[in-house]
Amino acid sequence: MAEKTMSGKELGEILHDLAGRLMDAMELWNDVVFIGIRSGGFLVARNVVSLIERKTGNTVPLGALDIALYRDDVHRRPFTPEVRSTDIPFSVNDKRVILVDDVLNTGRSVRAAIDHIVDLGRPKRIYLMVLFDRGGRELPIQADFVGRHVDLPEEKIIKIEAGPDKITIKDVIVSGVKK
Amino acid sequence: MNWPHKDVIAISDLTAGEIGHVLDMASSFKEISRRDIKKVPTLRGKTVVLLFYEPSTRTRLSFEIAAKRLSADTVSLSASGSSFSKGETIMDAVYNVMAMAPDCIVIRYPYAGIPAKMAELLPCSVINGGDGFHEHPTQALLDMYSLHEHFGRLQGLTVAIVGDIMHSRVARSNVYGLKKMGATVVLVAPKTLLPPGVETWGAQVTTELDPVIPEADAVMMLRVQKERLSERFFSDEREYAVFYGMNKRRVDMMKDGAVIMHPGPMNRGVEITYDAADGARSIILDQVENGVAVRMTLLYLSMGGTVNVD
Repeated sequence: MAEKTMSGKELGEILHDLAGRLMDAMELWNDVVFIGIRSGGFLVARNVVSLIERKTGNTVPLGALDIALYRDDVHRRPFTPEVRSTDIPFSVNDKRVILVDDVLNTGRSVRAAIDHIVDLGRPKRIYLMVLFDRGGRELPIQADFVGRHVDLPEEKIIKIEAGPDKITIKDVIVSGVKK
Repeated sequence: MNWPHKDVIAISDLTAGEIGHVLDMASSFKEISRRDIKKVPTLRGKTVVLLFYEPSTRTRLSFEIAAKRLSADTVSLSASGSSFSKGETIMDAVYNVMAMAPDCIVIRYPYAGIPAKMAELLPCSVINGGDGFHEHPTQALLDMYSLHEHFGRLQGLTVAIVGDIMHSRVARSNVYGLKKMGATVVLVAPKTLLPPGVETWGAQVTTELDPVIPEADAVMMLRVQKERLSERFFSDEREYAVFYGMNKRRVDMMKDGAVIMHPGPMNRGVEITYDAADGARSIILDQVENGVAVRMTLLYLSMGGTVNVD
């Protein structure tokens, strides 16, 4: 059961703020591509990309990454994680890649995503952008752009939900024990 | 979806939902084979042993490539050139292989039932690469995947399977699978190549090919298995080709959009002519490409997850 949700207005402010900080940091957009981790990260990336495209007038390439096959717990989970497809319609060679996830926690998903990206080519640099950083790292990984730092007990989960158009973020749900 | 199987022995063990799950997932695995670096680390440290007691090119190569693209180590043994030909029983051979701790054994065997027996006795995953006249589940899954890829559905398709039904495990697995997925199967063969009890399979059966051709969305030509045909089942290959071969005349009789399939290896000039095998309707090489993706999916599902390891 959902315990707490974030208002659309508050979420919109966070996304605008992230887009603004990215625009300051990147300056030129000719070698910048976005890669979102399925499915929450891709949703966040899509929203930020459309804000940036609207503000700068540039077209910014966006791809989706499925990390199921790069996880380090394939043989430790009680079931085999669903494999969805990676869809990166551009080369990552010599690009500045903005890797996007919805929630940064242990850092293991990011590790898997980086391994996946370097299998696709050799980017010039990979930045990490997350909507929420909830701490709890198990690997030495930090985000370059963080929407909001949140402090949550370990058993809580944060999930972002897409609206019916599959593009807008309808809800951010913080709920109780999943496992 | 939770995948409850340690092994892949027969299509008859799988539900329609499970078959659909494999077909869905295989598209994701197919994408890996189109990358520059065609490898993911998923099954690193796992050992896959390929035990082939019958000749095979496609199936063995396909499994080996599939396992390697998932970073598993593969060891391949065939009956000739190993101690199997010195008179060791299959179970002794299997226990010896097992002592070397593989995580998965892919087995092809000339008689039915051995893969199922191994699956029951061994802690590792067992995948049936074809057992006698019983089943060839991975071939049927790649055939269903290829059909689904082409038509976007299996439900409501009419698939004709033509040729040596009696000795064909490919036909059996496809009949079980296609029926579960809502397709209609028509088996076409001379009476001498129809096995006893074929009427209980739930497929239509006929000895005449021509009336079936315009009705079918797909026509799957089976190989005339010369090595199994020690008796005379038909008078000669030319006569067989006239009555049961795919040729230019029959290609032209097919529906718009209908496809020709063959599990390979082909006897060109017997069950299929050059122009049919290489023509626009042929999806024979797509079947081969899809075989790798489907086998990657099955290796992943069989070996991933703790349920299947403990």
